[in-house]
Amino acid sequence: MGAAQRSRRWLVPVSAVALVAGVGTLGPVVADASPKLPDISAQELLAKVQTAKVDGLSGTVHSSADLGLPALPGVTGGSDSASGTVTEMLSGEHTARVAFAAPDKARVSVLDNMAERVWTTDGKSAWAYDSGKREAVKLQLPEHKSSGKPEKKAPQSYNPQDVAKQFLDAIDPTTKVDVSGTEKVAGRDAYKLRLTPKTDKTTVGSVTLAVDSKTWIPLQVSVLPRTGTDPAVEIGFTDVSFAVPSASTFAFTPPKGVEVTQPKAPTTRPDVPKGLPSKPEAKPENGKKPGTANEPTVLGEGWSSVVMVRGVKLTGNGGPVDQFLAGAQTVEGSWGKGKIVTSKMVNALITDDGRVFAGLVTPQTLQDAAAKAPR
Amino acid sequence: MTETTGSPLVTRGLTKRFRGGQVAVDAVDLEVPAGSVFGFLGPNGSGKTTTIRMVLGLIAPTSGEVELLGQPMPKAQLQVLPRVGALVEGPAFYPFWSGVANLLRFDAADRTADPRTRKVRAGEALERVGLSNAAGKKVRAYSLGMKQRLAIAVALMQRRDLLVLDEPTNGLDPQGTREVRNLIRELADDGTTIFTSTHLLAEVEQVCTHAAVMSRGRLIRQSSMAELRSELRPRLVVRTPDVTKAAETLKSLGVTDLRTVGETVEGDAGELPIDKFAAGLVAADVRIHGFGLERPSLEEAFVALTGEGFDVAE
Amino acid sequence: MSPSSALADSPVVARPSAGRHTLALFKSELQLVFGRARTWVLLAVLAAVPVMIGVAIKLSGAEGGAEGFLGQVAGNGLFLIVASLGLSLPFFLPTAVTVISGESLAGESSLGTLRNLLTAPAGRSRLLAAKMVALAIFCLAATFTIWVAGLIVGFVLFPVGDVLLLSGSTISLGEGLLRALAIAVVIALSLMGLAGIGLFVSSLTSTPLAAMAATFGTFIVLGILSAIPQIDVIHPWLLMYGWTSFADLLRDPPYWDAIGRNLLLQAGYLAVFYCAAWARITSRDIV
Repeated sequence: MGAAQRSRRWLVPVSAVALVAGVGTLGPVVADASPKLPDISAQELLAKVQTAKVDGLSGTVHSSADLGLPALPGVTGGSDSASGTVTEMLSGEHTARVAFAAPDKARVSVLDNMAERVWTTDGKSAWAYDSGKREAVKLQLPEHKSSGKPEKKAPQSYNPQDVAKQFLDAIDPTTKVDVSGTEKVAGRDAYKLRLTPKTDKTTVGSVTLAVDSKTWIPLQVSVLPRTGTDPAVEIGFTDVSFAVPSASTFAFTPPKGVEVTQPKAPTTRPDVPKGLPSKPEAKPENGKKPGTANEPTVLGEGWSSVVMVRGVKLTGNGGPVDQFLAGAQTVEGSWGKGKIVTSKMVNALITDDGRVFAGLVTPQTLQDAAAKAPR
Repeated sequence: MTETTGSPLVTRGLTKRFRGGQVAVDAVDLEVPAGSVFGFLGPNGSGKTTTIRMVLGLIAPTSGEVELLGQPMPKAQLQVLPRVGALVEGPAFYPFWSGVANLLRFDAADRTADPRTRKVRAGEALERVGLSNAAGKKVRAYSLGMKQRLAIAVALMQRRDLLVLDEPTNGLDPQGTREVRNLIRELADDGTTIFTSTHLLAEVEQVCTHAAVMSRGRLIRQSSMAELRSELRPRLVVRTPDVTKAAETLKSLGVTDLRTVGETVEGDAGELPIDKFAAGLVAADVRIHGFGLERPSLEEAFVALTGEGFDVAE
Repeated sequence: MSPSSALADSPVVARPSAGRHTLALFKSELQLVFGRARTWVLLAVLAAVPVMIGVAIKLSGAEGGAEGFLGQVAGNGLFLIVASLGLSLPFFLPTAVTVISGESLAGESSLGTLRNLLTAPAGRSRLLAAKMVALAIFCLAATFTIWVAGLIVGFVLFPVGDVLLLSGSTISLGEGLLRALAIAVVIALSLMGLAGIGLFVSSLTSTPLAAMAATFGTFIVLGILSAIPQIDVIHPWLLMYGWTSFADLLRDPPYWDAIGRNLLLQAGYLAVFYCAAWARITSRDIV
C-alpha cells in the first residue's frame, strides 16, 4: 500500500462532506422543483383565489422574517405584551400548527423553543394557553353572532389565506400582477402569483403568493425587498391537509394545576387574548411600528402608506433607545428635525417633536410624508 | 490456505522512509525458512522493530513487499494473521484488567478464534508461560517479566504456523529467559517457524538455527548458523610478555591482521602450518606463556560485520 | 509448562469456526467501555444530576415558580426526568461523551494495545466500527442513567400523576414515562455527532487527554459560534442547532420535523467524521 494509495482513502470523508453538504443545501431545492401545470392568467388565478373555500384544513406553518430590524434594546420584550409578541413574530423563524374548520373553529399553536402557546376556539369559547407560564385564559363568546370573525383573528397572521386576501384587496393600479411560475409548497403543486409595486417609493420589491393548483388556497406568501434576493418575510405551509379536523382538535380542557383566568364576556368584540401573535394592523404591508402609545394615522395610500404616531416619548430619558438613536442619522426638513432609522424593509423617522413616521417606504418618502402631515 | 512450499516469511526490497526522510529500513530481503528458529539480530535502533511492524502490517512500507505464509501483506492480513502469533515491541496491556481478561480480549479480536474454547485456551496459554497463579491479578501489578510472559501467552492462544517475537526475553530474569528459550525450542520442535528479534547474541547462539544481522537499516548478512560458524576463521593467539618481539616475528612469518592486546598477540594465520610459528617464536627468544588457535565468537564476528558493539550484558 | 501434545499435530490445522465470530470484538469493546471504573464514575455523575435538582427543588419548596420543565417538577416528579435530561444536555452529557470518545482509539494507542488488536487481527475497519458501536451504546446508557435516576428521585420526592404536555393537553403517567424514554433516546442520538468528532480526533493522536481536550474544544467553539447572531446563516449547520428539539416530544401530537432534522444533522456529522476516522485509522502507521 503506497502513500498515494493511502492518501486516496481521504477521498471517502471528502466525498462524505460533499454528499452531506449537497443533501443539506440542494436537497430541498430538488424536492421543490417547479411542477408542470397548465398555463393560467393572473386574472383567472386571482378569481380562483378569491372564490376559494375550504371546509377545513390543518397543517404546519413556518414563518421566517428578516426585516433587517435592528435589535432594539428593551423593546424586544417578552410575550407579555402584544407589542413584544409582534416584534418577536417579525423577527426570526417560527413554526405553528394551525387547524381550521368552517365556519368558526380554529386553533393555532406556536411551537416555541421548549414551550408552546395555544389559541383555540370551538365557536363557543376561546382559550389561550401559555405552557411557559402554565396559564390559561378563557373567553366565553357571545351567542347568536357570526362569531367566526373575531376568533379567526388569532390564526389570521398564520393563515396564508387571510394574508393573501389582504394583499388582494389592496390590488389596484399601483400594482403589477402576474403569474411568475410554479413551485411545490408543502408537497403540493402551486402557481406563483407575483405582485410588484409600481412605485419606487416603497422598500417592497415584490410579494409572491404560492396558490395551490387544486384548492386555490394560498399556501405561501413571501415578501421580497427591493434590494436583495432573500425574502424579508416568508410565511407558508410546510405541510397541509384539507381534511376537516375532528372537533376534538379545537377543544381545550384546562389541565390540573393550570391557572385559568376568565375575563368578562365581550359584548361586541372580544379583547384580543393575551399574547396574540399579531393583530391585522400590525401587518408588514401596513407598515405600522408596534407598541406605540397613540392611535396611529395612516398617511398616503397603497405601497407608499406611512403610519404616523404622535406624542411618542421615546427620547430624553437616556435609556437604551436614546443610545440606539444616537447612532442614527439625523435629518432636517421643513417639517423639523429628527432621526432616521433604516433597515432592510421598515424605515422610521422619529422627529424631535415626538412624532414617529414609519412604513415600508424609502426614507425620503417618510420625510415627504412628514412635511405634509398635520402637526 | 495450506502452503507446504516456500518460506513462511519473505520480504523483498522492504524499505521504510519516515516522514523526516530518515530511512529506518533500507531494501531488506529476508527469507525465513520453514521450521527454522530465525534470529533477527541487530543493535538497538538498527531497524528490527520497524521491519517487524511492516511484516505484520502495522505500518506501511515505503516500498518493497512482504509475503507472510505465502500471501501478500498487508492485503491478506485478515486471512494470514490468525495463523501468526506476534509480540511487537514490548508487552502492551490494559493495566486495569487481569491477565486473563487481557488474553480474552485479544483473542476476541480474532474472528477466527472460537469463543467456546477461549477460556480454556487462555488457561493453557497462561500455564505454558507460568502465569497461572497470577491470571486473576491486574496487569498493573505485574512485573515487566510477567508482562513479557503474558505477551508470549497472547501469541500462544492459538495454534500458530509462525511466531514473530520482538525481543521476547526482554525484562526476564535468567530463569525466565531460560524458560522462554525452552518454550521456543519446544514450539519449534512442534513445527512452528519462529522469527525472533534480539540484541542478545547468546540467545541466537543458543536457540537459533538461522540468523540475520541488521545494521543501520540494512540487512548485512543472513544464513544458517552452521554456515556462519564454519566461516569463522580461527585466529592464532600468543600470550607472551615480549609482545613487540612476538609481533615482529609473526609478521615476518606471514601472519596478517596482527593485534596486540596487553600480553596477547593475535593474528590471522591463514592456511599456514601452526607449528612453524611456534618454532619461529622460540627461535626469536620470545617467552611463550600460551600458544594456540582460537575460534572467534559470534559476537566478535558480528562486531566485525556491523562495526558496532552489541549489548552483551545480561 | 503444559503438555505440548495439543500443539503437536500437523502445523496446518483448519479452523472449522473460521470467520464466524465477527461480533466477539463488539462484545469485547463493550466490556472495555463498561469494565472501567472511569465509565461508572461518569455514569454516577450523570445519575447525580436528577438527585441534585430534585433535592434542591424539594428544599427550596418552590411551587411552580420557575418556568419550563423545572417549574413542573414540584407538581409532578416525572418532569424531573425531562428537566434533568434537558439540563445535562449542554454540559454533562457532552463531557461524558468527550471522555469516552477521546479515550477510544487514543487510549489503545497510548497503551500499545492497538498493535495487539491489529495483529490479532481485529481489522482496522471492524475495530473502528466496534469503537463506534460501543460509543453509541455508551450515549444511550448515559441518558438512560439519567432517566432511571430521575424516575427514582422524582417518584420518591414528589407527587406523580398525569402529565401535562406543552400543548395544554394531558396524557397518562405511563405514556408520559414512554415519552420521557423517547426523549432519552433522542438526546442520546443528539450526541452522535459529537461522538463522531471525538472518535475522529481520537484517531489522530496517541494521547487520550489531548483527544479529549481537542474534542471538547471543538464542542466549545461550535457552542460559541451558535451564540453569535451575526452568523446565523450557518447556525442550522452547527452541531447543537437542533438539540432542544427533544421537547417537541412533549407536544400533542409530537412534532417530528425538528427532531428529524436534528437527527439528520447528527447523522451528517457522524458520517463525515466517521469516514475521516476510517481514512485515518486505515492509513495510519501504528507504532
